[in-house]
Amino acid sequence: MKADNSFPPSPLAKRLTVLQGIDKAAYTALQNFLPSIDESAKAEDQIALVDLLCQTFTEEPAGTLALIERLDGLVPEPVSVKELRRWALDGLQRHRTAHSKRLQYFETSDPLGFADPETKFDTDQVLAHRATLLHYLTGFGVTDLQIDLHAPQVGPTSPKRISVSNDFLLIPQRWSGFSANGLHERKLMYRAAVAHAAAHLLYSPQHLPAGNRHPMLLAMMGLIEDARVERLMAEKYPGLVTLWGRFHVATRESVGFDLEGLAARLAHALHDPKYDDKNDWVLLGKQMFEDAATNLHDTLEFEIIGRRLAVECTEMRLPFDANRYCVMPAYRDDNVLLWDFNAELSESAEDTKVLDHFELRKQKKEPLHPLPEVEINLQAKRLYPEWDYKLDTLHEDWATVILASGQRPKSKVRHFSKSHELHNSLRFNSLARIPDRSLRLKRLYEGDELDIDAAVESIVQRAGGLAPEPRIFMRHGRRRRSTAILLLMDLSESTKRFVPGSFISVLDIEKRAATLVADSLDASRDRVAVHGFSSNGRNEVHYVSIKDFDDTFGPEQKTKLKNQEGHLSTRIGAAFRHASVLLKEEISERKIILLLTDGEPSDVDVFEEDYLVEDARHAVASAKAVGIDSFCLTLDRNADSYVRRIFGSRNYLIADKAGSFADSTAQTLVKLIGK
Amino acid sequence: MDKALRPYLIESEPYYRETGNEVALFEAAYFHGLPMMLKGPTGCGKTRFVEHMAWRLKLPLITMACNEDMTASDLVGRFLLDTHGTVWHDGPLTKAVRFGAMCYLDEIVEARQDTTVVIHPLTDERRLLPLDRCGELVKAHPDFRLVVSYNPGYQSAAKDMKPSTRQRFGAIAFDFPKASIEAEVVAHEGKVPFEMAAKLVAVAQQSRSLCGRGLDEGISTRMMIHAAHLVANKIDIHDACRLAMTAPITDDRELLEALDGFVEAQFGLELE
Repeated sequence: MKADNSFPPSPLAKRLTVLQGIDKAAYTALQNFLPSIDESAKAEDQIALVDLLCQTFTEEPAGTLALIERLDGLVPEPVSVKELRRWALDGLQRHRTAHSKRLQYFETSDPLGFADPETKFDTDQVLAHRATLLHYLTGFGVTDLQIDLHAPQVGPTSPKRISVSNDFLLIPQRWSGFSANGLHERKLMYRAAVAHAAAHLLYSPQHLPAGNRHPMLLAMMGLIEDARVERLMAEKYPGLVTLWGRFHVATRESVGFDLEGLAARLAHALHDPKYDDKNDWVLLGKQMFEDAATNLHDTLEFEIIGRRLAVECTEMRLPFDANRYCVMPAYRDDNVLLWDFNAELSESAEDTKVLDHFELRKQKKEPLHPLPEVEINLQAKRLYPEWDYKLDTLHEDWATVILASGQRPKSKVRHFSKSHELHNSLRFNSLARIPDRSLRLKRLYEGDELDIDAAVESIVQRAGGLAPEPRIFMRHGRRRRSTAILLLMDLSESTKRFVPGSFISVLDIEKRAATLVADSLDASRDRVAVHGFSSNGRNEVHYVSIKDFDDTFGPEQKTKLKNQEGHLSTRIGAAFRHASVLLKEEISERKIILLLTDGEPSDVDVFEEDYLVEDARHAVASAKAVGIDSFCLTLDRNADSYVRRIFGSRNYLIADKAGSFADSTAQTLVKLIGK
Repeated sequence: MDKALRPYLIESEPYYRETGNEVALFEAAYFHGLPMMLKGPTGCGKTRFVEHMAWRLKLPLITMACNEDMTASDLVGRFLLDTHGTVWHDGPLTKAVRFGAMCYLDEIVEARQDTTVVIHPLTDERRLLPLDRCGELVKAHPDFRLVVSYNPGYQSAAKDMKPSTRQRFGAIAFDFPKASIEAEVVAHEGKVPFEMAAKLVAVAQQSRSLCGRGLDEGISTRMMIHAAHLVANKIDIHDACRLAMTAPITDDRELLEALDGFVEAQFGLELE
């Protein structure tokens, strides 16, 4: 089957042409690859696959070539193109800085992990509960920990338990040994796991050199340590006992006599004094633990118990498979936090049973690797998510917004700009004003309440035979709501061209509109910022602040505005998200982002037609959710199709004549603020 | 004492657990006639402290809760009508000044700044209240004292005191007391055992670590006392905590779940 005649000329052929312009090698590889796609594959799937390959190619050409080879004509059977896309984008994001790892990912990693619907469900649930769990952790005094998912892996070595480090709490994509019956049970599990992790972070000695200790010894010491920190934690948070207790269900009948089963039973026995287990090994562990538990802070005593239990296991000849061993119950973490597997244990320390971990800690201070030389970048960066409509997911930290140097951090002090050029003030609709009880309009003919002092005077006048004063009412005044407007200017290459039918460039028109907005608003009530953006792929969204909320619109800002030039592309979503973060910090009653642009969003690393439009739509919707309104003023005559999708049917204005753009801006402002 | 002030006398001792030397400080300020400003988070015991001090110093206590609608006339008084004509009625502030009482302006930042300016001549060494409407100059009774309170937590630019008002006061900053003392207060006021009170305090302390992460203020001592009352009336502890402590302070679902988690960390799983 030949690519030329078997595929419809559009849109697949169109995409291939685009790719040809970018890289010949990839184009050739894809040309050779396409005919081998299964004939039964649907046209949408073929297009989606080409889309995906184009997307990965711009970021990871070598990896994409490797992927094309691996695909060998077929998407591996259980994985759909959609899941393949999720896998590929996860790899790009996870190894965004390490090129070699990224290549390796495309060469060897298995996309199967993304095909399992249960895994998908598990990961979605974790992400949905992440904010709650972070709040929960904060309550235990752990404030600087991120919660994330383990790297996807399939097979026996895949992580099955939570891992805790000093910066991250990693949750497995598929949590084995735990079947959540309903949402309530799942939430309990998450809380049990997070509380256990917090116990380790608060009470466990961390990163002791593991040396050449046998994995079984580490497992036993971990088991005892788990029980010890839980006891300590329960002293302060007694309710956690019942929470953890819910998951201690191991009994002789349910888990049996292998090492994993016995460990689970011992964990149960240490947790619940009422649980009665007749096994000698469990009884020994329980007895020793309770003896040592008089002083829960003496870690040495507990290490001895771990050692003794390991010795007993060896004598019972219980097989131990370090790869298969899985800590029970499922809420407990893999105890990687306790050990440093790179540090050597000194021989004497290995021999003596009395370990002084304070000494051992000193070893840790010697750096294992020389510190990498890092070039300090003076430009501040912010990471923002991006919406992938094909997967219906938000890619975390996908786009990088680079703040132009010289942009200083926002000061806390809020002051209104002191520009008094009010001659240009716009007239606002008085009906749109809101009542303000601190404004009192007294001595009125009509009103909501009696003005008591005027009423008394009026009656006194009448009693004195004078004509009584009829204006004895009062009501509360109204004022216009304070507004913060962030004017976001598109500074892409295309703004250099002339507006049809004139000799003024789009950028100049934008500048005029910006000047109008900054000058005409009442500086004592409204706050205006003028920012601009342009982009060069997702890792380089440039964002420049021309006038900040706290700046006056003075000569410096005017010069800065004048000096802006158009270059690069238009990634609206990322810039919009940054703008809404800035605007969120404002305390005005209305917050508006006003976007000035000349065309639809586009960027060098995106091929899919609707990707950036959908992402921008998502950014606008997210801003709306936190009370930020958006409006778009565009010079693109054909903008109807996409601005309506991004901003909604009423929140845009197409001004296709250069002359009327300033007027349109003024109208828009009145409409926006008066709303 | 003038009989007009008799209803304002506090007869039995209001419970107050001292956490530092605030009682001694307040008494010293009272001795020197210094107006006092009490600031601190909501529900930490500012108003109770004022009641306790009024009782201790045997002063009648006249309380005004300030709001945006309050005018200067509401404080100092106004002419009203009766069958014979207009009659001057003293406002609460004038009453306290004339006959010697402690005047307490609660949440003073809620009042408009131009309203609170009427207290200026009272709070420097002049100790005078000019009533321009009726042309009277009231000299403050030697027992007259002024106390104001506010919560610095939720102030905005619009709601703050003028520096000229601020500088007339001495100030005591209040905060939630340390856990053992707070538990003592909750146990006494809520009529629950100390252990139960200590657990409620532990929940509140966890909630306070979420301040600035979506929560404006954590669970206050007052809320814990409400929860304790419910528990003393045989309401299930989880329900009582939800009703009186967690549900009122936030509408955010994620924060609420975390707060319920803190309750669970003290009182165990909720029975299904």
